[in-house]
Amino acid sequence: MENSYEETIDKRRVHLRPDTLRDPAPASLHLLPCEVPVNRPTPVGRFFTPAIRMGRDGLEASFRGRSLRGEEVVVPPGFVGYVVTEEKAEVLMGKQDDHERQEQELLEPPEALERDCDRFMGATASFSSFTVWGLESIPGPDAKLRGALSWPSLAAAIHAQVPED
Amino acid sequence: ARGADGGDGASVWQHVFLLPEYLKDDSKKMKSGLVFVKLANPCSGEGTIYLFNMCLPQLFEIKVFKEKNHSWFINESVQSGGLLHFATPVDPLFLLLHYLIKADKESFQGKFQPLDQVVMDDMFPDCILLLKLPELEKLLQHVTEEKEVDKKKYYKYSKEKTLKWLGKKVNQTMAALKTNKVNVSARVQSTAFFSGGQVSSDKDEDYVRYAHGLISDYIPKQLSDDLSKYLKLPEPPASVRNPPSKKAKLSDEPVMAKEDYTKFNSKDFKTVKKNSKMTAAQKALAKVDKSGMKSIDSFFGTKHVKKK
Repeated sequence: MENSYEETIDKRRVHLRPDTLRDPAPASLHLLPCEVPVNRPTPVGRFFTPAIRMGRDGLEASFRGRSLRGEEVVVPPGFVGYVVTEEKAEVLMGKQDDHERQEQELLEPPEALERDCDRFMGATASFSSFTVWGLESIPGPDAKLRGALSWPSLAAAIHAQVPED
Repeated sequence: ARGADGGDGASVWQHVFLLPEYLKDDSKKMKSGLVFVKLANPCSGEGTIYLFNMCLPQLFEIKVFKEKNHSWFINESVQSGGLLHFATPVDPLFLLLHYLIKADKESFQGKFQPLDQVVMDDMFPDCILLLKLPELEKLLQHVTEEKEVDKKKYYKYSKEKTLKWLGKKVNQTMAALKTNKVNVSARVQSTAFFSGGQVSSDKDEDYVRYAHGLISDYIPKQLSDDLSKYLKLPEPPASVRNPPSKKAKLSDEPVMAKEDYTKFNSKDFKTVKKNSKMTAAQKALAKVDKSGMKSIDSFFGTKHVKKK
């Protein structure tokens, strides 16, 4: 399975290219309350987004004959949303010439972590908000997602250094 | 914003991440240096994926929000699973503590050791990256006794100091729970419901218990039990802790290839129907968390599994 970079990490390191975080194109994301068991291009802009309406209590749309209610969700403060994909080997080849790579090795400590068989991931898009959809009713303030989005501020407290005596 | 989905017709797995904004600013200075590594989870001891920033250096944990039957539309593409990954900074002392306790139990009982001899792991050799993190000496003061011989520091795990440190962690977590208005108990929630939003602030024990549950996800079970005693928490009725194996995992959930593309989140659907017949009070009660002890998993959509 292509999603299993966990497996890869046992053998090869997986890098996230920092330069791809700089300014990737903004993306439009929708979190749907249904399973679509494929990963591939699909004409979202032709069949889904044009039918989105502003209803009485939020956004309204339909997908495969079911009625959806949605709302805009903003990513937690201090965070940026990214869509991250693995770089393909052939793309990678042309990315750095030998000279550049050597230069980098000089700049970084020997344990700079890049090894021949390593894999690379990069951000292809970014977002600061997305639309979350519920089946027939808006996800609302009690949605599990809302709890999850408060995680960064709780995590900050858990992991902050404790005050000295 | 079209065409940013990386889709050129082939199937591409797209991971949706939330990353701290400052990584973006740091990225100007570095060409490489962000790497996913597998380290021993300080609670379970199992391999867990972290993100390591070599430049700062800093360690981030990765938590995954997942709900059954969800998927993403990302621009002009569809991505199954509907996973949302959070990368947040983690206190490396939790990970070091795992090794200090292990060393104290096993080989070096009661002996002072240099850190590089304590933080060694055949299973997770990347643990040596932890030694590169800044201000380790300062951090270690919270959980060890130390000795200096010939300008080299030697450390020994101190349970007393560790409990004191964890007590402070619980305190600052409690404060954040209050700021974030996280409902920490059944009583707080239903009181709030019936009295129009007046959350009684005198249920400190609920906050302590909840914070203890959150911190317990970063320490071994034994230490969690000791911390509970240290905090003078009454014994929970039965063990309500999550088994460590239920930790939020990184996107490894196999996505079932169902033929029925229209499989909707049936649970959502049922809840909607059921709720429509319930009174407001019933709804409030239905939301009540009966475990009394929360863990991080509750933020990430994984079900609470109770022992027995």
